[in-house]
Amino acid sequence: MIKVRKTEYKPAPVRETLIQMKDISELMIDLAYSAALFHNKELAEEVMELEAKVDDLVYLLNMNLMLAARDRRDAETLAGVAKIGSLTNAISDAAADIASLVLHDIEVHSAVREVFQRAEEHLGRVVVSDGSFICGKTVDDLDLASEVGVDIIAIRRGQVWHINPDKELIMPGDILVARGTEEGLEHLLAAAKGEAENFE
Amino acid sequence: MSKADMEHWRRVTSDLVKLKNTSEMMIDLAYSAVLLNSRYLAEEVQLLEEQMDQLHIDFQCRALSRTVEKVDPRDLLGIIRMGNVTERIADAAAEIAEVVLRGIEPHPILQMVIQDAEETVERVTVSGDSPVAGKTIKEAALADETGMWVLVIRRDNKWIRPRPDTVLMAGDVVIASGYSEGEEDFKRLLTGKISEEEE
Repeated sequence: MIKVRKTEYKPAPVRETLIQMKDISELMIDLAYSAALFHNKELAEEVMELEAKVDDLVYLLNMNLMLAARDRRDAETLAGVAKIGSLTNAISDAAADIASLVLHDIEVHSAVREVFQRAEEHLGRVVVSDGSFICGKTVDDLDLASEVGVDIIAIRRGQVWHINPDKELIMPGDILVARGTEEGLEHLLAAAKGEAENFE
Repeated sequence: MSKADMEHWRRVTSDLVKLKNTSEMMIDLAYSAVLLNSRYLAEEVQLLEEQMDQLHIDFQCRALSRTVEKVDPRDLLGIIRMGNVTERIADAAAEIAEVVLRGIEPHPILQMVIQDAEETVERVTVSGDSPVAGKTIKEAALADETGMWVLVIRRDNKWIRPRPDTVLMAGDVVIASGYSEGEEDFKRLLTGKISEEEE
């Protein structure tokens, strides 16, 4: 039997939870298309991790919504919020389906991939090693967009995701998800591995 | 690969990119419609959904149409599934917009993006008399002049994401959000009832 973790109630602000779900599902879409177009299983696995997270969050959202309803009017308006929560979950499920194609080794036709790769920005996944000069700096500090033409769109630290990070300190072991040109991503990769002293 | 096949795949991909971009724009606009409680934005999402259905059919027909080379079904399956996913995302976005169109007031629990200031969404058609017609968004300096940010532009049956170099044309339907003080200035500027110099 497949074990599914129990989602326990904890108080969580509805608005933040919903926005968190929205941010995660949008990140999942980005990651999933990239996983398919570059046939990248690591990216696909990140999507699956995030999918499990959204599944948890939708339970948490609904629990908090139920406790927030006090009267008829509340029930009417909160039903709409619950609906948006479940639709956000549906979007993340769709992204997970693209990722599962990759994990099932169904490849996108190479001609399509070539055209896509020329048109779309690349997405990369980079592990930060101990000696890298980017450790201890914030995403803002690094100013990657102007330095190398890359944006860090998420940081994963163990099970914790920081989406659209700016003031977040980069630490050894962090997994960075970045978007940008192929060349820019190579610069970032070299920096994260500790193979470069700067972005020159 | 033959030239005809290359051309075939180029078109299939361009259809897929269109589906992907349309579905992403729909999500964007749908959440904005919720957060700003805007019927205008919700209606645009519904219009996009109609277009999306047609795009999806066109894409599937094209992808499944015969090519000269022999194609591994698994290769085709990948892109057909990706097309399906864009369609599902678009459906979800349309349903999110529908929550707004049902006219239920947002619960205070959602007290939205900007709490203290009144934020509003406007939809205005650019008139031929407007001083901004023919100018880029950057030249028109709409945000500086009116405090309103363009969210999306509808031109005929195309939805355009605003970029600094996007040219505003007479007949464009411009949807923008901002503080309610800027609303009247914005309408006057786009309908041409006031010249930019007088601003």
